Amino acid sequence: MRRLKQFTQWMKGQLHLYIIGMLLLFFLQYFRTLTPLFVQHIVDTVFANKPSALPAFIANLLIADTVQRQLLLVAVFSVAFALFRLTFVFVQRVIFAVFTERTAYNMRNTLYDRLQNLSFTYHSQADTGDLIQRTTTDVDTYRRFIGEQLVDVLRLLFLMVFAVYQMMLMNPRMTAISLAMSPIILVSALVYFAYVKKIFRRVEEAEGEMTTAVQENVTGNRVVKAFANERFEMEKFDKTSTKFREESMRLTKLMAFFWGGTDLLIFAQYALTASFGIYFAVMGTLDTGQFIAFLSLLGLIVWPLRQLGRIVGDFGKTTVALDRIDEIMAQESEHENDTTNTPDIQGHIRFENVTFQFVDDTKPLLKNVSFEVHPGETLAVIGKTGSGKSTLMNLMVRLLDNQEGRILFDGCDIKSINKKHLRKNVGIVLQEPFLYSKSVYENIGIIKRDVPKERIVDVANIARVHDDIEDFEAGYDTLVGERGVTLSGGQKQRLAIARMLLDTKPVLIFDDSLSAVDTETDIQIRRALYKHWQNTTVFIITHRITTAMEADKIIVLDQGEIIAQGTHETLLAEGGLYAELYHQQTKIAQEFEAHKGGDEDATI
Amino acid sequence: MQQFEEETYTKKEFDTKTWKRIFSFMKPLRRYAIIVVLCGVFLAVADLAYPLINRYGIDYIIENEDLSMLPYFIGVYVLFMAAMGTLVFTFIYFAEKVQNHLAYAIRQKAFKKLQELPFSYYDRTPAGWIMARMTSDSRQLSDMISWGLIDITWGGLMMIGLAVVMLVLNWQLALIVLSVLPILVYLSLYFRRKILKAFRNIRKQNSKITGAFNEGIGGAKTTKTLVLEESNYQDFDRLTSRMKKHSIRAAMFAGLYFPTILFIAAIATALVFYYGGLDVRDQVIQVGLLYVFVSYVGQFFDPIMQLANTIAHFQQAQASAERVVGLIDADPDIKDTPEVVERYGTILEPKKENWEPLHGDVTFENISFKYKKGERVLDNFNLQVKAGESVALVGHTGAGKSTIVNLICRFYEPTQGRILIDGKDYKERSLSWLHGHLGYVLQSPHLFSGTIRENIRYGNLEASEAEIIEAAKLVGAHEFIESFAEGYDTEVQEGGSRLSVGQKQLISFARALIKDPAILILDEATSSVDTATEQKIQKAIEVIMRGRTSFVIAHRLSTIVNADKILVLEHGKIIEAGSHEELLNNRAHYYQLYTNQFKETALSH
Repeated sequence: MRRLKQFTQWMKGQLHLYIIGMLLLFFLQYFRTLTPLFVQHIVDTVFANKPSALPAFIANLLIADTVQRQLLLVAVFSVAFALFRLTFVFVQRVIFAVFTERTAYNMRNTLYDRLQNLSFTYHSQADTGDLIQRTTTDVDTYRRFIGEQLVDVLRLLFLMVFAVYQMMLMNPRMTAISLAMSPIILVSALVYFAYVKKIFRRVEEAEGEMTTAVQENVTGNRVVKAFANERFEMEKFDKTSTKFREESMRLTKLMAFFWGGTDLLIFAQYALTASFGIYFAVMGTLDTGQFIAFLSLLGLIVWPLRQLGRIVGDFGKTTVALDRIDEIMAQESEHENDTTNTPDIQGHIRFENVTFQFVDDTKPLLKNVSFEVHPGETLAVIGKTGSGKSTLMNLMVRLLDNQEGRILFDGCDIKSINKKHLRKNVGIVLQEPFLYSKSVYENIGIIKRDVPKERIVDVANIARVHDDIEDFEAGYDTLVGERGVTLSGGQKQRLAIARMLLDTKPVLIFDDSLSAVDTETDIQIRRALYKHWQNTTVFIITHRITTAMEADKIIVLDQGEIIAQGTHETLLAEGGLYAELYHQQTKIAQEFEAHKGGDEDATI
Repeated sequence: MQQFEEETYTKKEFDTKTWKRIFSFMKPLRRYAIIVVLCGVFLAVADLAYPLINRYGIDYIIENEDLSMLPYFIGVYVLFMAAMGTLVFTFIYFAEKVQNHLAYAIRQKAFKKLQELPFSYYDRTPAGWIMARMTSDSRQLSDMISWGLIDITWGGLMMIGLAVVMLVLNWQLALIVLSVLPILVYLSLYFRRKILKAFRNIRKQNSKITGAFNEGIGGAKTTKTLVLEESNYQDFDRLTSRMKKHSIRAAMFAGLYFPTILFIAAIATALVFYYGGLDVRDQVIQVGLLYVFVSYVGQFFDPIMQLANTIAHFQQAQASAERVVGLIDADPDIKDTPEVVERYGTILEPKKENWEPLHGDVTFENISFKYKKGERVLDNFNLQVKAGESVALVGHTGAGKSTIVNLICRFYEPTQGRILIDGKDYKERSLSWLHGHLGYVLQSPHLFSGTIRENIRYGNLEASEAEIIEAAKLVGAHEFIESFAEGYDTEVQEGGSRLSVGQKQLISFARALIKDPAILILDEATSSVDTATEQKIQKAIEVIMRGRTSFVIAHRLSTIVNADKILVLEHGKIIEAGSHEELLNNRAHYYQLYTNQFKETALSH
């Protein structure tokens, strides 16, 4: 029952198409089994005045006074009949194609939508390759199942049913003889394809190993060359390549044996049918035309039996694919039960004893964090890697939700604010911003798609990325992202800043987003930014003390806790980590001396 | 890299040179190929004979009511049965054998070439492109050829055989049936080509959708923070809508093909019904012959469709063939001269007995260098490093640090000037000789799948267990390796997810150390690791640099300070050189760089 529901849930809204298609398929198979009967009609009815195997409504149409006229009628009618039948074959194929493609379209869109709306936590833990596999290969497996495999199986079944029916009408005893080998063929096909699946897997594994060997060799070619291990690599590859070949040959042997063996069985069936048929024909219990019809109808039954075994053997794949897709659909969208509350955001932010911990983690990433920022102020958060800086930022746009304490935006708990609304009001420039596979123009203008190109050049100038862009072969039309030109970390960061400059937001967060830019450019950009965002509450997350220095307020984070907060002056006066970090850079001269000492030791 | 994006298909109808080259790979398989072709012949004969056997039954046994011939009839049938079974077994077996061995041969040749191709090839060729040649292309091509072989012989013979037999049996009736042939051939080729094109288009669309999914997943965080879900969805919908439209259109085309062919078959059959029927009436032919003709009409269409299919695929496979041949016949632009090969051997067959020891004096003599695209230039660069000296290369990204390293490794060769190693132009010795004495530690260490032991041994394939442990101890990796449950047998795994970045670096140090190279190249990592690991790495660097000529793309203060010589590079020129103290006292470029950059590094650790 669950399987059925799982199977039909993607067909919603167009199940009727599928049913019409199936009905058409059913009747078409009946018509198909009529085709061999025309020969029987000619041989038995036209020439020997014996009963026709064609149904009465057709046979009656073919009555005429001379043999020539009768032949002409049969010829003309068989063409008309073929036209009628084949037209519907075409219609039926189109119906299934439309149905299948619509279903696949629905699946892809639903999955894409769902993936976009899954929580940040889900994404940060998910395996990208696996998700891609589910959204592409698994969808395709299901698409092929409903559009091809299931249709094929039903077509073959219907065809067999009608072929047997036509045979029965002519001669039940001959029918039994003509079906004698069928069970053996079907069972051997089923058994074979179930067994060969294991071998298939081994071949795939062997191929996987070989692919890995090549991949590692290609990506690590510097190492290979520098260590002069080409020969070793060649031998390593040869081993995997040979293994793949040997495993494939093992499969080949099985395949050849199966197809050869079943061919033998099928021709044995033909031999049986032909021998008995001839015997009965001579004895007078079977007409010649009927004998010919039996040979033709037999072909409609025995050849497809092997295919049936192959397709049924593949059915298991579909349930696995559907299960894997369901796993994604079972995840809750982060916007599902979100509030619709969209208050005006001014930029007054207050953290009250905020604590956050991942469910499966033992230590909280943020502990009891409290601070306050007023609209238009700049707050710097400084701390070492892993001190909780990024978590703080993720909480502010609800990529993560704090377990304890409250985060207030203008006095309003952010958990009661609509997520998308919140994110539209809080701009973030990430340390590793993602660029879409679009042109530079489109990437900068991504949140305001209708912005004129001059504006884009403007903001690129402010973000000091204009010159870099101009250096690209196609300038602003250069395709970036995964399928385009690879940008350096610093270029990406500056592009992301430009992107943010197209809009004004009450709150802005820089998550170490100038880390890959040299200090001088960093300062230039920041100067320009302050001018641009005078009324914005700005968060600067950094490990650069010069960047933090200028903020209205500085928070020092260490292992998830605020160990100090204040202005540059007060913090310096306090001593502690901040002062330590500060002195590290101001007392460079002393450090030189220290290194000089070490230097001499090391070279001795 | 743009040119690798779209799969290119040649317009040429048939490229003889490419196919000749591909078929030359089949030479060792000639025996099997002949068997396959013979199978095709026999199969065609069997298919032709089959209706004739039944006809014999109909015309001579049934019509003559003579049962005495029945045992012979059964005997012939049994023989036929056995023959078909054997034939099918044989042709599948040998066709696959040709396929597998050919694919193997192609992969082997391509891989060998990949080992010989210089680093610059990898620099401009995406890994994915190479992978596709090694996997899907080699498979498709060999599949195409081995099965194409049988399809062409079988299909061609079938068509000729059918025509001949029909003409012999009753030439008037045969001519009537054959009259539909030209239409059939034309339509088959037309449809096949159209269908293939439509499906290629779909594959292209499909890869775009995969790309979009990839982007949707990889860019999830950015999408969320920019609230781009809606507009992304719209973009995606545009892609899937197009895919839907194209797919339905392709399916309609494919759906039209088969019925059209069958309809023509129905017309041909109707012609047999009428004219054949008249002949039976006039007792010109017997009923059995009518049966044979009806069967033959049905059989005629298989080989035509098969041949059309094969021809269409061959056209498509030509692109694969060109790419594969392109790789196998690629000319390495950095290679040893014949004289050098004569003395020192090739990359895969080195003559190590002729290798001179390498001491480690390195001289850059008026070196100019420019990449193919003319990107960056070293201009009249001179440098002299004595054996055992260490050189730190500092400067901004793009100043030419990597270029210098690439030149020393002979990953690239200078456009002008000479690089002397132990006083002799390094082109006068073999690549393997140089690489055999080189230690190389990458910024992001590339470990191979396999155990830690195997990865360390990679530096010196003859190293003993004791030497491996010794190397690990020297770089300070032994401790953490032993802390793993499986010790040195711990699998590194692809991507090395089980080891931290720092641990991977230490293993790559051990790998370089065990080689005991005369020249060491070290591209220091910028990524931050925890303090304890950082100290270990610093120590390990000191250990492996000791007593070797070292070139370091340096980011660590300690490494730079300890270097015998510091080169400050800008735009491919040495703008300052000297020891740490000298340079600091200069208060010039180095001092600037130092105060701007290195303090950052100091801070983040």
